[in-house]
Amino acid sequence: MSDLLPLLTQQLFNGLSLGAIYALIAIGYTMVYGIIGMINFAHGEIYMIGAYVGLVTLSAIGIGSGVPIPLMILAMLVVAVLVTAVYGFAVEKIAYAPLRNSPRLVPLISAIGMSIFLQNWVATGQGARDMAVPSLVTGSLEFTMGASDFTVTAPYSRIMIILVTIVMMIGLSLFIKYSRTGQASRACSQDLRMANLLGIDTSRIISITFVIGAMLAAVGGVLIALAIGKLNPFIGFIAGIKAFTAAVLGGIGSIPGAMLGGVLLGLAETFAAAFISSQYKDIVAFMLLVLILLFRPTGLLGKPEVEKV
Amino acid sequence: MKLTLRITPILLAFGAMALAAGTQAETLKIGIPQPMTGPNTQYGDQIQAGALTAIDAMNEAGGIKGMQIEALLIDDGCEPKQAVPAANRVVNSGAQFAVAHACSGTTVPAVNVYEQEGIVAITPGATSPLVTDTIKPHYFFRTIGRDDQQGPFAGRYIIEQLKPQKVAILHDKQTYGSGVATQVQKTLEQGGINIAMFEGINVGDSDYSAVISKLKALGPDLVYFGGYHPELGLLLRQAREQGLAVQFMGPEGVANKDLAAIAGPAIDRLLTTLPADFTKREGNEAVLEQFKKYNRSPDGAFTMTAYAAMQILADAINAVGTDPAKVADYMHENSFDTVIGKVDYDAKGDLKQFEFAVFQWDADGNMTQIQP
Repeated sequence: MSDLLPLLTQQLFNGLSLGAIYALIAIGYTMVYGIIGMINFAHGEIYMIGAYVGLVTLSAIGIGSGVPIPLMILAMLVVAVLVTAVYGFAVEKIAYAPLRNSPRLVPLISAIGMSIFLQNWVATGQGARDMAVPSLVTGSLEFTMGASDFTVTAPYSRIMIILVTIVMMIGLSLFIKYSRTGQASRACSQDLRMANLLGIDTSRIISITFVIGAMLAAVGGVLIALAIGKLNPFIGFIAGIKAFTAAVLGGIGSIPGAMLGGVLLGLAETFAAAFISSQYKDIVAFMLLVLILLFRPTGLLGKPEVEKV
Repeated sequence: MKLTLRITPILLAFGAMALAAGTQAETLKIGIPQPMTGPNTQYGDQIQAGALTAIDAMNEAGGIKGMQIEALLIDDGCEPKQAVPAANRVVNSGAQFAVAHACSGTTVPAVNVYEQEGIVAITPGATSPLVTDTIKPHYFFRTIGRDDQQGPFAGRYIIEQLKPQKVAILHDKQTYGSGVATQVQKTLEQGGINIAMFEGINVGDSDYSAVISKLKALGPDLVYFGGYHPELGLLLRQAREQGLAVQFMGPEGVANKDLAAIAGPAIDRLLTTLPADFTKREGNEAVLEQFKKYNRSPDGAFTMTAYAAMQILADAINAVGTDPAKVADYMHENSFDTVIGKVDYDAKGDLKQFEFAVFQWDADGNMTQIQP
């Protein structure tokens, strides 16, 4: 049994780092849904664009230029965040704002169209092939444990993902709870029309929501690019679906729910791959989603929809 | 006035058609469906390099049967669902010959189209036995070996040279990857090697740390991966990150420069089976000159096989004309001297013999042939 503990620890770490990325992207889905009741299918592509901007920034600075690595990473993050903020804002203004009063299905289709457009936009600009990201953060934390001297390895790039995600989650929660804009966001997610009537500039809040979501996704994109080392214009699609699943799992519309859902999905996938079979890990993860929705249709932390008469 | 208005466009259209028919130059169209987008684009690049160099050289020498060759590049994305649409585009273009597809998953559905339409097609890259075994086509050929040659070849190398105590086999669950992995598994089982794990991974995932950790706990001496380079690149890189120092081996679908870019120094000691390096074959010097002349690289698993495919088509058409049925018959009945050696076909379009070789990679991404 003591043989199992080191493997469990290793897989726990793997699951957390995977879950952290899902959580970062899931927040974007959940915030947008919470405020305007729409699933932003183009959000996965924003994550992908963040990753690409990070890579372009890195290439622009140049690996051998002597700039210290933490500074390079910071630069990648800052530039990616700024550029994707513009993308998030633009996507909202182009694809969703004009359709705000249309039936639910229309902005959804617009979102899918935007997603396809962005994928091909990047494919045309950067090429449709895989691009390699040089490893900036190498090395790992290692410790042996257990009777069989199994070495649990925690690569620094993955530790960075977990730490940065925790910091961003705390930052976001504080922002939502204490800042004026945060309070206005919460008001909008409770009742958009009422908030508008009470004088809150809902257009501005909606734009800010998209921008915040995009910024978080960009951070996730840059971190993943550094950790995994491979990019192509279609990574946003898969990541987007998983993150959307995580958001639904945790309760769509709830920010703590998105965080919880992301971590849970990451852990479920990893443990399924580790202890059942790598072949069936997606099946297990989605079965988990189905089971949870059967017993809690609004997700783990989701608020039941109250019918307003 | 009204009648004139109606008749004039029709007359003009007829006139245009007649003009077009009169001025159309006779070209021999060769359809070349291959991956031009997606993660496996470089196989398309290799096929283009081989086939287009052959076409350019032939056109300069006067073409085939006096006709200039027109290459039609079509994208199949290395995706099974794009297979039939791409094949249909070849059909609709009027081409009756094709150098077709790199990926087995794409080729298997497309074979039906070429066979039904009577288009002579040669694949320089698809190695799955299913390509020719399912419908035993008359019009479809290969210039590359099959996985039930490549798999056992790799298996025999493992049994005889590496002699591992414990082997883990991973695959990407697709036609090509799981096919070649199963072949290796069968060969190793017959040779009495202990296969401790046989599992599939998902194509397109970024994070394989769960399965790497599982491998770490298992402690194999060798990991064989059946699939393409995007997945193996990540596996190698993440294995190194987690401190898993085991030797990996893979089939020709992983062996290319992009793998080195993704895996970085983790590619050190990787073994791959590939078609023998035909650029070093005696007698191919003139062909290498042609590649230099047209500014294309002769390297790559499928470049020479694509060139050979064009050589075979050219030989056959020069011998019996442009009727695909006659060309197909000719190809089944005759031997061809090509850049990949002597080519003989069996009844379903497979090569009777094909040279595979084992290559080892070093940390800088260079490979050297180690067997034979």
